[in-house]
Amino acid sequence: MNRALAPVIVVTLLIVGLQLSILSSLRFSGVVIMLVWVWPLVVGLAGLTNLAVWSAVVAGVFFDTHSTTPFGLTAAVGMILAYGASRLGKEGVGDLDSAAWWVTPLLAGVAGFFAPLLYVIGGFVTFNFSLWRASLFNMMVVNAVAFAVLSRPLARVAQLAGGLGARARR
Amino acid sequence: MATDRSRRRGVTVLAAVSLLVAVLYVTGGVVSGLRSAANLVVAPFSWTINTIAKPVGHMFSGTVNYSDVVAQNQKLRYELGRAQLRANEGWALARQLTELTSEMKLPFVRSLPTVMAQVTTLSPTNFAATIDISKGRDDGVLVGMPVVANGGLVGSVIATTPHGATVRLISDANSVVGVTYGSQQTSLVISGRGVNNGLGATAIPLTTSLNPGTVLYTDGLSGALFPPGLPVAKVRRVTLTPGAATFNLTMQPTADLRHMMYLDVILWEPST
Repeated sequence: MNRALAPVIVVTLLIVGLQLSILSSLRFSGVVIMLVWVWPLVVGLAGLTNLAVWSAVVAGVFFDTHSTTPFGLTAAVGMILAYGASRLGKEGVGDLDSAAWWVTPLLAGVAGFFAPLLYVIGGFVTFNFSLWRASLFNMMVVNAVAFAVLSRPLARVAQLAGGLGARARR
Repeated sequence: MATDRSRRRGVTVLAAVSLLVAVLYVTGGVVSGLRSAANLVVAPFSWTINTIAKPVGHMFSGTVNYSDVVAQNQKLRYELGRAQLRANEGWALARQLTELTSEMKLPFVRSLPTVMAQVTTLSPTNFAATIDISKGRDDGVLVGMPVVANGGLVGSVIATTPHGATVRLISDANSVVGVTYGSQQTSLVISGRGVNNGLGATAIPLTTSLNPGTVLYTDGLSGALFPPGLPVAKVRRVTLTPGAATFNLTMQPTADLRHMMYLDVILWEPST
């Protein structure tokens, strides 16, 4: 895990950079796709629990430094997604090499659908009661589709960064 | 077993840290320093991605939308010409108005100094309508100052750094603006409804006469957050509920909040 931490963190920071530089202005139906949540999710689906949680924290905290929303909330939602996905990943569900091709996108789609809702619920916990006023349903649908589409390529990257690709080649 | 336990411990520690950070945010302090430090770490990655991706993206979109770009350019030239004409015509009227308002001891936006700034970053999230601008404390920009662009009020400054500032747009769910219209005898409070949902006002007495198309301006009442006379929104829909003594309004900001490149920060602070 220690050896894989560095590459995963570097990819995580690149993902944050991509999110802030490109995706914040590239909106679909007015919705920003939350790549900073997809990444920990797919790392989790690869069965890398600690790496998934760390990538969620790093991505979330760095993302939140650029946002005026409750600090740490993006990280908290990412951690929940990462931990949940890693439980499934440990069982081989959603693993690119062993599960059916549609399982990873399906799981990612479900996670993408509920992630904005989790965020709003988290907002209530941090006494921020205005988050629900944004177009929540739009966000849920757009992110579900985006998570599903991006999950397989990103899961490949996660496998490589986590060293699984190298092990499989051996 | 031991691995499982240590992993669980790790996850618990991370959850606790996250919760702590969220609590720190709520209680204020510490976080601004943490934000600045984290900004420093992410900046090189953002810069790298920007340097590589932006030119490619611009080239691609420029090629695909070339005819649109030409058409837009022509339209902008035409609009610029009309604006210049109107500016010349309005100069005399503006002067008269400034004199009148100064006699009435009311601040008028044209007499207030402004700082032009460039929009550097749009809100990265779905949950807050904010933008970052290129001017900050060193240019006289302070928290609370109103920001105008594209023909109307855009928002107000909520945070500053020496060379930049964050502006909360009027469409943000936490944004509230006191407005008036017509003969300025009625004041309303309109609030943002989130990034893509425009503006709204609720519980307006039926005695108030407002129609779709009515333009609302900042009221500038004592203690207001904005100077008077800034166009804020245009009424889009009036929603009447049968039997109710009040009605609701749906409004569209007069400024186009989606296409902003440059804007003006009015160097005006709300009175305390």
